[in-house]
Amino acid sequence: MIVRAGLTSPFPRSESLVEATRDLDRGRTTAEAVEELFASTEAEVVALERRLGLDSLTGGYLRWPDLFRPIAESWEGFAVGPLTRWFETNTFFRQPVLLAPPVRTPGAIRARLPRPVREAPSEGRVLLPGPYTFAGLLDNRSGETDPAVVHRLGRLLADEVKELRSLGLTVFQFTDPLLVVRPPEGHFAEATVAAYDAVREAVAGGTSIVWTFGADAGPAMPLLDRLRPSVVGIDLAETDPETLPVDPHRAGLGLGVVDARTTLSEDPAEVARIVRAAVERRRPSSVWVGPGGPLDLLPWEPATRKLHVLPAVKQGLGSGGGP
Amino acid sequence: MTPPLFPTQEIGSLAKPRWQLLGQRGDPLDSAARADLLAEDARLSFGQELSAVRDGLLAGRAREVGAEAVRDLGALYALRFLEAAGLDRVYDGEARRIEMYEYPVRQMHGFRFQGHVRSFDSKYYLKAAVVDEVRLTAPYHSEEFDFVRRHARAEPKLPITGPYTLADWSYNEYYLARQPGWKGRAARRAAQREFVIDLARRALRPTLQALIDHGCRVIQVDEPAAGTHPDEAELVVEGFNAATEGLDAEFTMHICYSDYRALLPALLEAKRCRQWAWEFANRDSSAHDGYAVLKALREFGDTRAVGLGVIDVHRDIVEPPHVVAERIRRAAGYLGDPARLWINPDCGLRTRSLSVARAKLDAMVEGARLARAEFENPRR
Repeated sequence: MIVRAGLTSPFPRSESLVEATRDLDRGRTTAEAVEELFASTEAEVVALERRLGLDSLTGGYLRWPDLFRPIAESWEGFAVGPLTRWFETNTFFRQPVLLAPPVRTPGAIRARLPRPVREAPSEGRVLLPGPYTFAGLLDNRSGETDPAVVHRLGRLLADEVKELRSLGLTVFQFTDPLLVVRPPEGHFAEATVAAYDAVREAVAGGTSIVWTFGADAGPAMPLLDRLRPSVVGIDLAETDPETLPVDPHRAGLGLGVVDARTTLSEDPAEVARIVRAAVERRRPSSVWVGPGGPLDLLPWEPATRKLHVLPAVKQGLGSGGGP
Repeated sequence: MTPPLFPTQEIGSLAKPRWQLLGQRGDPLDSAARADLLAEDARLSFGQELSAVRDGLLAGRAREVGAEAVRDLGALYALRFLEAAGLDRVYDGEARRIEMYEYPVRQMHGFRFQGHVRSFDSKYYLKAAVVDEVRLTAPYHSEEFDFVRRHARAEPKLPITGPYTLADWSYNEYYLARQPGWKGRAARRAAQREFVIDLARRALRPTLQALIDHGCRVIQVDEPAAGTHPDEAELVVEGFNAATEGLDAEFTMHICYSDYRALLPALLEAKRCRQWAWEFANRDSSAHDGYAVLKALREFGDTRAVGLGVIDVHRDIVEPPHVVAERIRRAAGYLGDPARLWINPDCGLRTRSLSVARAKLDAMVEGARLARAEFENPRR
């Protein structure tokens, strides 16, 4: 069985980057100096990803203020709204406010991708908001119904994927925790399926990953299976693998095995055991392991330390070749 | 002394004046800070009580004066600031505290700071992990309270971070590691319970006992994290009950920016809590009645006092007194008993400038006076 490993969220900023960005706010350093530090820290994250043998590179998405801001700041129809709590955490995002039906701005996301992802597209992993979570957490004043916004965002994200595919990028992760935290029903469910149909078509030939976390994925699995991505990612800190149904499509199974809510390192043997339990239930074509929730809920040092479980798990399960 | 109808109280921290921040760093006051200190001293006459500190700062000798003495002056200023507004219950605006997590945790054994986590944009907070059994190094806040008690002219009330919030804002290593097998949801929950209860019994309770021994009669337990996980409301209560077990003081519980209905009825099992200090004004608008949630307390038959947030601390717009009075009137109607209401801002005013905070507190006190006059002298 093919086993892959990779980051599934932004990486924490290093302590020196924390200090530099604070200093910039206080006028004690220059934007150029901070930019230089961002670049060198991105390189550090890539070096870590390579050292750990991760199968896709992210560079840490260190500059992204939150999952939505790159889009909310660059696509037409959006404004950036108030600070809003990111699920049950002490981290906040600026709520996107949708004032009119959104229009994608070509080139805007590409320009905001971490440099390592832009420079080595065949190895890069693109992190984008999932359409359901994006629509569910924004303030919709566009006049469109919420399910219509889900569908429209799916189509726009598909257009985004097409542009990025033309640059050589092949792995696209849609971070969509609301799918398990507040599973869509009725019109929302149908709009979500339609949104992912568009995305899947755009990714064709590449890898589409729907990544969830923050709640038990068990009850949402029938819907997640209808989305038909290349990989369905679930958070094992929240999900009991014994409750998972067999996947009728034998898609890839993403498993969040690093818990970003604790600094306690995972025991590789325990991780291997629970991964095997999930694999036995789902019988996937491939397994993708990574952090469950956002790794930037941890400081830099413990995040780095905890990731060392990934190569151990990958080795324990027996890895195959490339995608 | 029996408090008046609709007594007023502080609820959290105030912004620190620039002269205090400069003085604590040992920097000389610039002209604006100097002018502010002189003007506020003329208004509140606090400087003469610690004249050596004030004069040292004004003479550019902050380093010589020392950070602790500057904090004393800052605490005295905040106390007089709140008293001048006419509040019935006051504290020192948390003038000595930087925040509500790091300081208490540093008074305990068992924690190790792990580094900074981003809150948003380029704002971060330092977060610790519990790596050993929690043990109190020494009770805290007692000296701070002693200072307030010595100087306060109104009744002092001390705010302290509750055990649930301290646990929720920490990483749980020690207690989680003791859980066998995979650290899934059930293991995390069991570990968190052990952590909260240890914090309550081993750290909070002895600290609260020490404060009571120092004469503290009114203690506000701050649990802002309670609203983050409504499904853990029972654990919030368990921690509160363990921290206050066998103690004799007037305990209140402050929770803000939460869906209070989601915390009920579990919260009502907090045995020694005599007042709910909640935020309402933030969510009150012409389109939404922010106070309607009070009906839930009546539905559940809860008869405790309510610290009624009537001032939104996230906006500079000053609520007119008649708006404050109307909010009080509405809340009294929902509770069915005006005598249960204490009047306060939603939360600490530290996010507002001191001039805005002052205007808001003045409006709040005047609004309470208007409401009091209405209830005590109803029109026929």
